[in-house]
Amino acid sequence: MTLLFLPAAILIFSVFAIPIIRYTWLSFHASSVLTRLEDIPNNGANWFRIFGDDRFWQDAYQTIRFTSISVTLEIFIAILIALLLDQKINNRGLVRALTLLPWALPTTIMALGWRWIFNTPYGPIEKIYSILGLGSLNILSNPDTAWLATIIADVWKTTPFIALILLAGLQTIPNELYEAFILEGGGKLNAFQQITLPMLQPYLIISLLFRTAQAFGVFDLIQVMTGGGPASSTESLGFYAYLNALRFLDFGYSATIILLTFIILIIFTLLVWLLTSRVNKLLKSEIL
Amino acid sequence: MKLSNLKNTIFILFIIFVFSSIVLAETKSPVNINFLMPAPFVDSTLDLVSRFNDEEKGKIHLKITKGPLETEAVSDLAISSLLLGKSPFDALLIDVTWLPKYAAAGWLETLDDRIKSNEWDSLAEGARLGNKYMGRIYRWPLVADMGLLYWRTDLMDAPPKTELELLNISQNLKEQGIVPYGYVWQGRQYEGLSCVFLEIINGFGGEWLSNSMKVNLTSKESLEATRWLKELITSGASPKAVMNFSETEALQAFKSGDAALMRNWPYAWKELQKEESNVKGKIGVTTMISKENHQPSATLGSWGFSILKSSTKKIAAFKAIEFLTSEEAQKEMFINNGYTPTKSEIFKDAELLASSELLPVLETALSISKPRPQTPLYAQISDVLQKQLSSILTEDKPIDEAMKLAEEKTIKIISSAGNKS
Repeated sequence: MTLLFLPAAILIFSVFAIPIIRYTWLSFHASSVLTRLEDIPNNGANWFRIFGDDRFWQDAYQTIRFTSISVTLEIFIAILIALLLDQKINNRGLVRALTLLPWALPTTIMALGWRWIFNTPYGPIEKIYSILGLGSLNILSNPDTAWLATIIADVWKTTPFIALILLAGLQTIPNELYEAFILEGGGKLNAFQQITLPMLQPYLIISLLFRTAQAFGVFDLIQVMTGGGPASSTESLGFYAYLNALRFLDFGYSATIILLTFIILIIFTLLVWLLTSRVNKLLKSEIL
Repeated sequence: MKLSNLKNTIFILFIIFVFSSIVLAETKSPVNINFLMPAPFVDSTLDLVSRFNDEEKGKIHLKITKGPLETEAVSDLAISSLLLGKSPFDALLIDVTWLPKYAAAGWLETLDDRIKSNEWDSLAEGARLGNKYMGRIYRWPLVADMGLLYWRTDLMDAPPKTELELLNISQNLKEQGIVPYGYVWQGRQYEGLSCVFLEIINGFGGEWLSNSMKVNLTSKESLEATRWLKELITSGASPKAVMNFSETEALQAFKSGDAALMRNWPYAWKELQKEESNVKGKIGVTTMISKENHQPSATLGSWGFSILKSSTKKIAAFKAIEFLTSEEAQKEMFINNGYTPTKSEIFKDAELLASSELLPVLETALSISKPRPQTPLYAQISDVLQKQLSSILTEDKPIDEAMKLAEEKTIKIISSAGNKS
């Protein structure tokens, strides 16, 4: 019986454990252009450096900000979209396929698109703003607004993905439940609160965890849309790791960034999970 | 009967064998070499490459791998292939800033023995820069490239020469409502911002990094230069939007006639001459402004070929490089693409001079060009500077504080190298 698990175990080990072991090992070595890419043990110098690296912590803050805001928005909008797609509307198949389009687009292409949408002065948003006589917005040149623009682009792209998962969830809820609820004199809003949400809950948690992990590693969107600027205000941890590895050829430090990011992600995901189960308990106790 | 049949068969087989080996030996497959180039260069060298392959038919076959459009993306691709061990490429077309990094990593083959001293001397002075690391040649230049100031001949009689003139002209034209924007340049947080800064700090009499690796970012000149860049935006001489402009955005604004002045590379000239350009025939090119009594400067951004150490076909690769960088090839690329030649002879070519007003400007710009700091740690140093400059322009941090931070961090990066080497 245990033999049956072996292929899966080997697969998981090779794609998951090996990189982590390798990165851990690398993070205790100097391996950069200065060492001619040879790995030389450096007694944890990378780890001492990272705790004093204000840029790492600024990026950590920005990554958490990006992840929490975009994922929250995505979940709320996705619930609305899923409810809409669940209705019996004409050409439902076509509408569903169209909704998925943003998610199917390669990130690089859509990020380039958004870069032009937010472009000053030729982008449509700036054009409308200036036609209204309000001057110019300079969204991507302002550290206070550029990160919001990256969130908008991310929400636009990944909401359909969550909507799809939630739609699948909605379809598992038997209609009889609603019929019975209405018969008992319940309202539509109450039905949403007391049937839809609790029944959707496993799907919500899955999409939440999935998207959190994904958004945490954001790189391509940032790279294309802002290059991390202005004033590094949109830089993510993934971007910083990339800079160190491919631009600076400092693989030891890059591995350290990736590992610490991984640890922060685990803690963050645990927190999200704890929070959702707490909310969940509250919801259940209310219903009962 | 049977025996003679067998004999015949054997004889025929023998004849076939002999002939086929002769034929095979004749058409022995050529040496296949593979170069990686950024996409724009692939398009502009298409003819040259096919001509080379025709000339060397049966001996060498040059295949070009089309890299991405964006400079740093090409580097990412090259580095990834090098890290994986055996790179599929024999030579790379590399940017001036990558050379020390690649050479220090031990990826490049020195060209000292292949380049004769008279060939080296045939290069224009500025084109000699940025090809060496630790005194050895690692790169042979294909095109020179340097920052230029583009101006609108219909809006001003002469281009600005000093920082004050540039500020005044831009401000006046904008305030009179003649153009929406005065001066457009590259203010996005990326490599282009470092290029802009290098020109200005040099033109103000300062220095980013001295030859002995002393960091001069908090010098009086450096602070003045930075203050001027910021003033461009606060005074309205440049739009706020330049803080997110790369070359593309600057070119677009200038091309559509929305700006009076632009900082860009030589490639912009050809773009501005195209039919869809609103400023066709209304532009002049000159070198960057400088402070009164100071020499102007142009950031060097050249491209050249480097042979990889891992290549097993270095002789063939060098032959292809010689062909692609020959005087003839350079003339052709100048005429067709506006690429700046690297050989000094071409700048004196009467025929070219008669047909191009650009060539003398390119020669002057190349003669005052300065490379960015040549160290394997350049990417880090530039990244630190970009970040702080961007915080200054976006008013995230005051000038003194940001430049002090940039200086401290740069010193730290450089000293980390000192400890290990």
